[in-house]
Amino acid sequence: MATRNRTVEFRKHRDAVKSVRAPLSSSAAASASSTGPVIEMVSLLPSNRSSYAPLSTEDPSTSRDAVTVGLPPSWVDDSEEIATAIQRARVKISELTKAHSKALLPSFGDGKEDQRLIETLTQEITSLLRKSEVRLKRLSAASGSSEDSNVRKNVQRSLAIDLQNLSMDLRRKQSTYLKRLQQQKEGFDGVDLEMNFNGSQFGSHDDEFSDVGFSEEQMTKLKKSEQFSVEREREIEQVVKSVHELAQIMKDLSVLVIDQGTIVDRIDYNIQSVSTSVEEGLKQLQKAERTQKKGGMIMCATSLVIMCFIMLVLLILKEILF
Amino acid sequence: MVVASSARDYINRILQDISGMKVLILDSQTIGVVSVVYSQSELLQKEVFLVELVDSISNSSESMLHLKAVYFLRPTSENIQFLRRQLASPRFGEYHLFFSNILKDTQIHILADSDEQEVVQQVQEFYADFVAIDPYHFTFHVPSHYIYMLPAVVDPSTVQRFCDRVVEGLAAVFLALKRRPVIRYQRTSDIAKRIAQEATKLMYQEESGLFDFRRMEVSPLLLVIDRREDPVTPLLNQWTYQAMVHELIGIQDNKVDLKSIGKFPNDQEEVVLSSEQDPFFKANMYENFGDIGMNIKRMVDEFQQVSKSNQNIQTIEDMAKFVDNYPKYRKMHGNVTKHVTLVTEMSKIVDERKLMSVSQTEQELACNGGQGAAFEAVTNLLNNESVSDLDRLRLVMLYALRYEKDSPVQLMQLFNKLASRSAKYKPGLVQFLLKQAGVDKRMGDLFGNRDLMNIARNMARGLKGVENVYTQHQPLLFQIMESIVKGRLRDVDYPFVGNHYQQGRPQDVIIFIVGGTTYEESRSVALQNANNTGIRFILGGSSVLNSKRFLKDLEEAQRVARSSTTV
Repeated sequence: MATRNRTVEFRKHRDAVKSVRAPLSSSAAASASSTGPVIEMVSLLPSNRSSYAPLSTEDPSTSRDAVTVGLPPSWVDDSEEIATAIQRARVKISELTKAHSKALLPSFGDGKEDQRLIETLTQEITSLLRKSEVRLKRLSAASGSSEDSNVRKNVQRSLAIDLQNLSMDLRRKQSTYLKRLQQQKEGFDGVDLEMNFNGSQFGSHDDEFSDVGFSEEQMTKLKKSEQFSVEREREIEQVVKSVHELAQIMKDLSVLVIDQGTIVDRIDYNIQSVSTSVEEGLKQLQKAERTQKKGGMIMCATSLVIMCFIMLVLLILKEILF
Repeated sequence: MVVASSARDYINRILQDISGMKVLILDSQTIGVVSVVYSQSELLQKEVFLVELVDSISNSSESMLHLKAVYFLRPTSENIQFLRRQLASPRFGEYHLFFSNILKDTQIHILADSDEQEVVQQVQEFYADFVAIDPYHFTFHVPSHYIYMLPAVVDPSTVQRFCDRVVEGLAAVFLALKRRPVIRYQRTSDIAKRIAQEATKLMYQEESGLFDFRRMEVSPLLLVIDRREDPVTPLLNQWTYQAMVHELIGIQDNKVDLKSIGKFPNDQEEVVLSSEQDPFFKANMYENFGDIGMNIKRMVDEFQQVSKSNQNIQTIEDMAKFVDNYPKYRKMHGNVTKHVTLVTEMSKIVDERKLMSVSQTEQELACNGGQGAAFEAVTNLLNNESVSDLDRLRLVMLYALRYEKDSPVQLMQLFNKLASRSAKYKPGLVQFLLKQAGVDKRMGDLFGNRDLMNIARNMARGLKGVENVYTQHQPLLFQIMESIVKGRLRDVDYPFVGNHYQQGRPQDVIIFIVGGTTYEESRSVALQNANNTGIRFILGGSSVLNSKRFLKDLEEAQRVARSSTTV
């Protein structure tokens, strides 16, 4: 893979040309200023402007300024904001992964803090994604020239691909978390059952002392496990809800994302389709113009003919009656 | 390193060093170069948000300073003019100019002169000047392609342009591979000799500094041969997947346009057949038609299973799984539809044109002896109503190439029959082909009937029996590759240019066919490379032929030759 950089050669020549051009223009300006008064003396009024014209066009600084003043269109800011939002979401997702693994570790505490952290993180990420998606839709709404709108469409597409990948990632993480959580829950249930079984054995021993009802110990255990399962239930619901939301985002985005390996993904196809659509548009426009013109002409002609006819009738009537 | 990946690396390097939003500007040639190795979504990842052609970008004057313009053009004078006008009144914030070939000093000066506002950031030469359709197969789309058949005196300027384009392209290939080759050519072909000599001049004299790479023990070999040495291969019907699609429908830069053969839903009008992006195609591109049918059936079964598992969604988990798998599912769906459509359409064409029997006779003509039987078979097919005009013409051509000297009388009978049978037959086309590529012009043993060794080998093969009647033909290229592997390519027939001789066996061989390659030859090269003989072959051509394209070149050349003789 050989390459050759010709920039140095190019620069050298450009500078050479510039240095040639600069004295030339200054001398031209000098000569203009020296001849200026003469011209003014000869013809005071009309040539006044023309003698100054070369000066103003040769001045490089003003034209450069005029060029650099142009600001990018406002959608560029939008797209940048979306990009930063995506970046933030990515950071948050990595945080979330850490929190997930921490929450799944067996611990002595009840792990409420972990849960809360996971909840808030998930919510934040989902809202970030939602917001960027809404903003993404706005990106294509503004009007502009065909090239500009093409650029916008492509920016939108690439951001959509990013967003989609991100939300896929998030969902995969959530579903694995969910699965692990459920597994753990089942594990707990199994343990509880065994304990209950043991407990009931105990109970059979206790039968001699008291016939009815659970023991105090059993009641507290039951309550505790109930509470535990309610909490887990709530967590699972939470996750399921966010999965739903993500699915919605996915559906909205899939319209924008290009499938790889299809004809839509070909560079030449895209250029050709743009040029053909432009041509088609031109053709339609010409056709419309033609029909419009034709319609107006025909209307005009028919109305004139009708008018003529009416006038003729009036004339004949006038001849006959008077 | 293979041609496709080095072209890809070039594009990667162009795009990765320039940060920010970019617009990529190509010309009608480089668009093919980029399209076969890069995809739109990959461009988007590199923040290229607009792709335009160089002539349409100069139509509009709306300024877009937030974009950086990345030009990737061939260094032609039209492109330089477009650029000059653009630089005089720049629309974009920065200009990065990449050229696909060697820039002349005057061209740099023109550009530097017009860059008054100093918007150009860099000027580079990145030698991706070939369309890498497969890993071992590249092509240049040379305009007015028929010209190689005519002697140089007929139209000197067009021939010069043809040669220049080919030599530049070959130079780019070797620059991309970072090698300087020794060059051999086919002795009997003037155009091959000219191209070989001009390439040698460029690589060893004019740009010898550029081609001065670290010395390898053995230089690679560039062998320039002429299409007319083997006119049979582009005239045969093909039965392996890629070659067959090109023969019956037509592939252009790995794209297949289905609009010409029927009505299809919008997203299936044009499909992509790329071995890089489509694993099914990669696995089956060299398989024959029967096996393709089986493999597609297997793919459809697989797909049905997937879609069935997608249908019964009952739990939340199923739903989540479905959403996870959906993009994969959709991709698979598109792929299955594509291949099924192609194969269905092709088998329709095969039935319509009775290609089974036509192709059998063609293969008989190309591979086996038996003149009497061949004459009878060709006559029968000429009488058959359902055989198309194109196939009739090809049959007679094949017969003429094979039995030109053996039976002039029977050949005349066939000519007359052909003229009476097909209304569109242009008289003299077969004779023109014989004049171009007849026995006297060819030096190789195309049909394997000139020396005793080959005759014996053919007989042995006849006794053994062939695996598949429709794919028994081996292109001449196969023999050439075999003799290169054995080190027995004769210096008399394929002389070296200048005093750069080959010592030892080359490791890389690039065979360039002036007048175009076929996918059958591409398959032959790929299979040869898979054999792992220690030599890697790369095939290149001035275009990719199917029989229609080859006949069109012939017709065009005949027309020009005739008009030049009358004038």
